[in-house]
Amino acid sequence: MKDRPDRITLDQWDSRYKQLIRSGIQEPEYGGCLRRHVDDGDTRLLHLAIDNSAAALRLWNFLLTEEDRLRNAREEGKTLVGTLKDLGTVPVMAYSMKNVVAFYPDGAWWIPCIMEQNSELLKTADSLGIDDSFCPVRAMLGAFVSQAHFPIPDVLICSVGATCDDLSAIAQRLDAMGHAVQWWEIPHRRRPDPGEEVVSLPGTFAAPKSLVCFVQRELQRIREILVDATGSPLSEEDLNAGIVRANRVRLLLDDLRRKVFTANPAPLPALETLIAEMLAIHFCSDQQECLVVLESLLAEVRRRVGAGVGILPVDAARIFWVNPVADLRAMNMVEDSGGRICGTEYLFSHALDLIREDVPPLEALAQSALADPMVGSPVDRAERICHDISRFGAEAVVVSRIPGASHCALEGAVIGDVVRQRFGLPVLEIEVPPVADSLEPTLRTRLEALVETVRSNRLR
Amino acid sequence: MICAGIDTGSRTIKVVLIDGESHALLGSGVVDQGIEQEALAEKLLHEVLEEAGVRRDEVASIVATGYGRKLIHAADMQMTEITCQATGVSHCLPGTRTVIDIGGQDSKFLQLLPSGKVSDFAMNDRCAAGTGRFLEMAAAQLGVRVSELGELARGSNGGAQISSMCVVFAETEIVGLLAQGCTVQDIAAGIQGSIAQRIHAMSGLKATPPVVFTGGVALVPAMDTALSRALGHPVSIAPTPQLTCALGAALTAAKRIGLSPDR
Repeated sequence: MKDRPDRITLDQWDSRYKQLIRSGIQEPEYGGCLRRHVDDGDTRLLHLAIDNSAAALRLWNFLLTEEDRLRNAREEGKTLVGTLKDLGTVPVMAYSMKNVVAFYPDGAWWIPCIMEQNSELLKTADSLGIDDSFCPVRAMLGAFVSQAHFPIPDVLICSVGATCDDLSAIAQRLDAMGHAVQWWEIPHRRRPDPGEEVVSLPGTFAAPKSLVCFVQRELQRIREILVDATGSPLSEEDLNAGIVRANRVRLLLDDLRRKVFTANPAPLPALETLIAEMLAIHFCSDQQECLVVLESLLAEVRRRVGAGVGILPVDAARIFWVNPVADLRAMNMVEDSGGRICGTEYLFSHALDLIREDVPPLEALAQSALADPMVGSPVDRAERICHDISRFGAEAVVVSRIPGASHCALEGAVIGDVVRQRFGLPVLEIEVPPVADSLEPTLRTRLEALVETVRSNRLR
Repeated sequence: MICAGIDTGSRTIKVVLIDGESHALLGSGVVDQGIEQEALAEKLLHEVLEEAGVRRDEVASIVATGYGRKLIHAADMQMTEITCQATGVSHCLPGTRTVIDIGGQDSKFLQLLPSGKVSDFAMNDRCAAGTGRFLEMAAAQLGVRVSELGELARGSNGGAQISSMCVVFAETEIVGLLAQGCTVQDIAAGIQGSIAQRIHAMSGLKATPPVVFTGGVALVPAMDTALSRALGHPVSIAPTPQLTCALGAALTAAKRIGLSPDR
């Protein structure tokens, strides 16, 4: 079958690209052969297995040209908003405004992986006193110094409070380097006291109404900062329309995730699904094109599901994955080991849940921000994970630690305990550094053993 | 039919030969690991076969396990050491519910179902704490052989506290303890207790008795006592604890060709 789904190497992609061009695919402005990104330094592509569809080509090109988009936006006089940590809330506000582009400079944490440590970003962070006892987000500091990866944002907004200690420290270092950060507080999502008014948040959480009001006031402050920075208004109508647009992305992702995680055989690899999910948080700096990319991916997934074809054997072990990986190759590895991803919690499940459209916009965004799995207790996070394990029918769980990330020290054990108690599923905890090549044999052993355990228990 | 299991561990290679039908042990061998893993494994297999009086072409099925399993091209199948260890231990000691395996460079905690299959497991991660390497380092620091640590520990009046999980920091601690006049016996007991605690903490899993101890470190006297104290359950050492994983691989090799251990 000519268009049989497969995961292929970059070398194979060279000829696949020519084949797609000959077949007459329409490429966007940022399109082109994936090989050119290697020439730009993204050498990790040489070691990844990549989905062979035209939709995946578009997704990868969209992802890997974000720096160009940001530079173009700067040249066009748009306001660049750098948002840190909240993962999905402030960008909805920013993209409600005209001529504003929001992005996450902390997304630079993947540059050491994509460029296989050749970017020098971590060395720069070391020299700034932020060493490898901090999470790879510290690469962002190097990117601010080198200015080789994204333009310096016009305004920087960072949520603090119930967030990772290490990210807060890194953002503080950034502020001390002269990049003024506008801070807003996200409080710990505590359980409501008896008799306290309770609000059900998107997802599975609840919070006291007083917390929602507090965050709403903080977001109002951010709204004023955005208005000051851009000189443009940000009305309730603008925000409502922005929420509707963000929800369109979230609806597409919900459909995509449901199909990818539940169809058998798996219609899309874990790697492309991860990248697609990441689009939820800031739309890869182009909300409209983000919709097109996701629609294209969803159409491909529908086609594959309809044809009963996929990229993995039907007996692949169904694995729920917790936390994004510093080395993208780990997502290939789980599939090479006989697993498939059936459910994820990449620290931003709140950016995948629909934002309420039936309450005032800042209240809706406050609720969404408080539904962040990271701002509550690990037990709450584990409950959300259990909810999604049931939803997608996972047979095992991998908790992937991020080296140096403060939240990883404790949450793995808590998540493991809750999942084991609830479902009796095997839970594997691993740690994935930005380039995990030297650890590949031991990581593979763990993943293969997990797959063997799942299969053996199926026979039981 | 003859079946073989090859366990290419981080410090040693083990080979076990069984009769596929009866599961009777026909031969076994252990050799130190080296750079030419495949050649070493092949040589060991040849020696074990010769000693058992079996020709190479009589071996119907070979399963390789251990971290170097992918390098053994003579194997018909590869299986992880987690699954093979569980198979081997359950064959020797049916009803085992927990396996603690401490090898040269890694340690594992396996929870087994009553059927002997793995229900959950944990392995040490990017750290030598709780492994044979930790013992080797500590023994070298004390100027004794690893095998002597157990005897020394038995003479202890109360184990010294080794709080560092990291090999490097533990080394510093041992130097400090020696400088304070702590006895070698107490330090040896402290080292064994530290490893046992580390294994217990690492797993995050509950040890359900019966608990069986395997791997090269199980051969170190008194380690079972230290583990037993840390886990709060009696710990028994598997017969030939260094070979159970290779035995599991051999049993898997038999199962692979329809000679199921369950039959």
